[in-house]
Order: sequence, then structure tokens, then C-alpha cells
Amino acid sequence: MPKSLRILIWLAVAVLGAFALATIALHRGERINAMWLVVAAFCTYALGYRFYSKFIAAKVLALDPQRATPAERLDNGRDFVPTNKWVVFGHHFAAIAGPGPLVGPVLAAQFGYLPGTLWILAGAVLGGCVQDFVILLFSVRRDGKSLTEMAREEVGRLGGLVAYVAIISIIVILLGVAALIVVNALKNSPWGAFTIAMTIPIALFMGLYLRRLRPGKVLETSVLGFILVMLAIWGGQWASQTPRVAGWFTLTAPTLALLIIIYGFAASALPVWLLLAPRDYLSTFVKLGTIALLALGIIALHPTLHMPPLTRFIDGSGPVFAGNIFPFAFITIACGAISGFHSLISSGTTPKLIRRETETRMVGYGAMMAESMVAIMAMIAACVLQPGTYFAINSPAGIVGQAPETAAATISSWGFPITATEMHSLAQAVGEQTLYNRTGGAPAFAVGMAHIFSNSLGGQAVMAIWYHFAIMFEALFILTVLDAGTRVGRFMVQDALTHVWKPLGRTSWYPSILATSALIVGAWGYFLWQGVKDPLGGINSLWPLFGISNQLLATVALCVATTIIVKMGKARYTAVTLTPLLWLVAVTFTASWHKMFDPNPRIGFLAHARQLAMGAATAANSRLIFNDRLDAFVTGVLIFMVALILIESAFLWLSVLSGRKQAGVKETAFVPSGFAAEEQG
Amino acid sequence: MNSWNSKFQQLASGLKSCPAIFTAALREIFDESAYARFLARNRLSASRVSYAEFLREHEVAKVRRPRCC
Repeated sequence: MPKSLRILIWLAVAVLGAFALATIALHRGERINAMWLVVAAFCTYALGYRFYSKFIAAKVLALDPQRATPAERLDNGRDFVPTNKWVVFGHHFAAIAGPGPLVGPVLAAQFGYLPGTLWILAGAVLGGCVQDFVILLFSVRRDGKSLTEMAREEVGRLGGLVAYVAIISIIVILLGVAALIVVNALKNSPWGAFTIAMTIPIALFMGLYLRRLRPGKVLETSVLGFILVMLAIWGGQWASQTPRVAGWFTLTAPTLALLIIIYGFAASALPVWLLLAPRDYLSTFVKLGTIALLALGIIALHPTLHMPPLTRFIDGSGPVFAGNIFPFAFITIACGAISGFHSLISSGTTPKLIRRETETRMVGYGAMMAESMVAIMAMIAACVLQPGTYFAINSPAGIVGQAPETAAATISSWGFPITATEMHSLAQAVGEQTLYNRTGGAPAFAVGMAHIFSNSLGGQAVMAIWYHFAIMFEALFILTVLDAGTRVGRFMVQDALTHVWKPLGRTSWYPSILATSALIVGAWGYFLWQGVKDPLGGINSLWPLFGISNQLLATVALCVATTIIVKMGKARYTAVTLTPLLWLVAVTFTASWHKMFDPNPRIGFLAHARQLAMGAATAANSRLIFNDRLDAFVTGVLIFMVALILIESAFLWLSVLSGRKQAGVKETAFVPSGFAAEEQG
Repeated sequence: MNSWNSKFQQLASGLKSCPAIFTAALREIFDESAYARFLARNRLSASRVSYAEFLREHEVAKVRRPRCC
């Protein structure tokens, strides 16, 4: 293609992207079509990938097609396998795409669609994609080492310790908040509870089918599992309409929380092939299919966004969660913009599959762009709802009141008109008794998704099926994260305990399995219980805590990346990782400060504890006060640890730059790639 | 003109290989490829016993694989 034509095409993409961004940013008082968000996203990603990632690949990382990757050098057909780049892309995307990019944007939609959308686009292109790409490449150049190992080797022992603590903390807080989302979606919903309960015997059946009847036929088993899940959704309608069965599955939030805690413990201790693996396959199958379906639905329906670009809640008084647009919009949306958790995947399985160093760009940078697109779709699903409906679903009873009429009147008084009758009709349409006070983002996303799906396929008559399909999709997704996360956490604890007493590190020794499973489940179960008992719905305290810990892990990853870039002698390019690092430091440290010390009791943990202390001295109050202080303590410890790694890294950078310390990275020695020779010859 | 033809041929062959790559990606995500490699590496044929053996070998890698939030 002639160079001039290429320039013209990219100019057209830039102009179109700028026009779409201007449309979503500057329109006021008029509803816009969701396709503007899609166009703006596509153009931004295309430009980011074509120019920014290419610059990073060429100038900063100097990707070398002649250098053999660990997949080639250590190919053992098991852990290290040179794999087609598109296959690795799919594998990596399936591992990084979780419930986060669906829930975060839905919660952040309380500010309007604009702040979240801009953050998703800018955060991904300049931060999240860069983080995933550089960590993947650095892990590839170190034989697939993990983030913790790289932190220890490149930054120092303290760096390794901080990375370890950050990972354990994020796992515990993530699992607690994820479980809370499921509880809030399924409480008093016999249809949803029945469907999700059925996924457990379905997974067990899949495990047995796969092991005994059709060994190794995972795709076939997943299709079968999916059909059974669809039957369970259909059966859920019957269950909800049969009073006796509905009674068994109409569960309160505390009961559901206890059941999920028991499930988490059992899933962690049962053989992997029986429950964890089949659930993982089923969840991945449903996830990939649903994301594709949602994308098609949005394109087919190209719905209008009813949420305004900015709402009055940018002042920090939002009912979904309290806090100003800065920093809270930026910690509410982590996955989809920048997520520290991704650095664990980028330094986990993926680097061991990369065939050529040059493919890290497409896999690392590209897969994160795809995840960011999922976040944009979630934002669209939330914003196609009437704002009154959105706030009625997402506001806790402690803010809007328990009675439907009171809640509707409160929300209408904010300028988002809604009536109790409208909410009742909507609840009926989706097969629920009520949709009020369903905090956590999942039900609002499910209503939005059901709206898009039912308008594209099947009409209002199947709205309830689509709603419960969406709830099933999210809950299945989250419960898979829960049992996989519990296992990962358990292994990490066992790895650490092996230094204390060797048998504790044995992953097949049942006393150790049970003790460490109980420890991890107890930790996230505590946060879940705290959220369930919180009169403000739990999400107000726990989601920001999760966002902070996730972004702090990204801070650790970017510290490691910047350190390696400095030690590579490329200090002039450190802005690539230093800019998102400084932004995250500003965001997370400000958010942590607010969460600990803000005088507003809806924001600051300690202010809330003080407010409660002035009330009646009941046992419930004492527990809430303790929880607030615990949350403040956890936030403080996380910030302190990350401050340590920042200081350690900064000293190292200065030492290297001033020549006091010799630069030198701990990469594997260069070995020429046979694949490169094959292509040339 | 030749350059356009070669670009077109490249695109056509790329599109033709799409279904195969899509299937390969699914097989990798769902561990079917890992099982096939296990069988080839150990010169085994597909059976309950060999699958149980594969699951044992694969278990540690599987459970240590985090699923993102």
C-alpha cells in the first residue's frame, strides 16, 4: 500500500475518533447513541495499537525477533509450548477477562457515562495495555518468572515481599467483594438462586462425564454443560412460580453469604477435576459466548444512552458509592482501564506460550484493548437504562429508604424521575419480586443486558429469561473467580508456610490443605459478612477497597517495569511506565487518604466509626465500628507497603542514573531463535 | 499491481485460516491441546487412565493459574 494512502487512512481514523470523542464529551441535554462510544473506542484502540505500542516495542523494549523465547528454548510440551499468537491471544484474554470490567463501569456510571468512558479509553491505551505488554515481555525475557520473583530480583527483597503481600491482599478483598456482588444479585431471588445452585451439580456431572465417559473432550462437555445451564435457567422460572420450591430458594443475604463461604471452602478442598476445572470450563465457555453476543447486540440495537454525560453526583454525594470524581472514578474502574491483577497473568502462563518476542505486543497490549472494550460495553449496558431505574437498583436502602414509594420519591427528587409502579413493572418483567436495593452492579448490568438482548432478539416476552441469563453469567463467572482465587491464595500461603514448617507447604497433605483453605476462606468470608451486614450495602466500603488494592498492585508492577527500563539503560523512555505509575500513585494515595481520614462518614472509615460510636452502644454497632477500623487499618498497611517499594525503587533509579550503581538486568542470555531462521531460510 | 495481488492473496489465506485458528484457540483455552500434547509426549492413546494421568500432571498448573477479577 502506498505510504500516502496509509497516512490518509490513519488521518481519517484519527479525525473520526476525535469527532466521536468530541460528540460524547460535548453533547449536553441531548441523548446520544451508544455507537459513538463504540466508534470512539475503536479509533482510540486502533491509534494506540498502531502508534503507541509500536513505539514502545521498537524504542523502549527493542523487541528482538531473533531472540528465542522460553517457549522455544525450554519447550517441554507441558508448561513451555510455542503457540500460535492468535491462540495465545485468546488464552490470555480468557484469563484476564473477569467480572471486574463488567461491574466497575456500571458502578462508575453514577457519575454519568463521560468520566468512566474517558478513563477506560485513556487508562487502557496509556496504562493498562502498557503494563500488560511490558510485564509480559519482561517475564518472557526471564523464562516466565512471576511478578513477585521479578520484583525480588530487579527491585530488591522488600519489593518481592510487598508484591507478595499486595497479591494476597487483593485476592482476599477481591473474593470478599465478588461474593458480595453474588449475594446482592441472588438475595430473595428464587429464580436466580435456583439457577446458580444448579450449576454446582452440573459442574460435578461435567467433571464425572469428562473423567469417566468422554476423557479429554472438554469442548463437548462444555457445550453439554451450557445446555444444562440453559435448562436450569428455564427451570428457575418454574421454581420461582412454584410456591413450595420458591420458598426453598428464597434466601436472605446472610444465608446466601454462609452458603457461599461453605461452597468456597468445599471448592478449595475438593479434587480439582471434580468441581473447579469443569466450572472453569463452563464459565469460560459462557463468558466468551456472552461477551460476543453482547457486542453483537449493541451493534444490532445501537441503543440510545439515557444516562446524562455527567450527573450531579460528581460532587461526591453519590448513592451507589460516596466520593468525588477524583479519585473515586479511577479506582472504581480498574479492570477495563488498568488492573494490577493482569500483571499476574502476564507473568504466569502466557509468557511460557509466546513463540516470538515480537508477539508480546499483540498479546499483551492487544488483549487488554479487548478487555477495555468489554468495559465500554458494560458502561453502555448501564447507561441504556433510565437513570431513575439505574439509581433505584443500585442505591442501598440506607440511602433511599426501604419502602418502594419512599425510594422512588427520593430518587425522583434527585432529578431522575421514577415511580414505584414503573419499578414494580420492571421487576415483574424480569421475573423478580423487587429490584430495589440490589447494590453491587450485577443486577443493573443484567437489566441493561436484558434490555439490549430482548430488543435485539425475542422482544419483551423473553426479558425475564435474558435477565436471568445475565445474572447466571455474572454469578457463574464470579463463583469461578472465587474458587480459583481461593486455590491460588491457598497455594501462596502454603508456599510461604513451607519456610516455617516443610509439611505445611505440601499441597497434597490434607491437614495443610484444610488449614490454609480455612485461612483464605475465613479472610474473604469476613469481608463478605461485613458487607452483608453493612446498612449501606457493603459496596460503598468494599469496592473502593478492592479498587485501591488492585491499583496498588498495578503500582508495584509499574515500579518493577520502570526499574527494569532504567536498568536497561533506557531511562529517557521511562515516561512510558512512569506516567501511569505517577497517576496511579496520585489516585490510590488520595483515595486511601479519603477512605481513612475523610470527615464525611459515608467516605471515611474512621469518621463513620466515630459517628457510630456516638450512637447506641449495641453489639451490632460495636461490630460495625470494628469493621470500619479494620478497613482503615488494611488500607493503611497497603499504602505503607507500596510506599516502601516506591521508595526502594526510586533510590535504585537514582543510584543507577547517578552511576553509583552499575546498571544490569537479570535477563536470560540471548539464544538465537530457530523460528526466525526458519522464516528467513 | 503485483503488490496489490500479493496483499489480496495474503488476506484471503489469512481469512481461510481463521476457522482453524479459532478452533485451535478454543482447544488451547479448554486444555484439549494440552491433553493432545501430553498423549504425544508420553506416546499414549486417549483413554480414561491416560486422561486421569494428564489431570494429575496438569492439576498443579491449573490451580495455580489465577483468574482475573
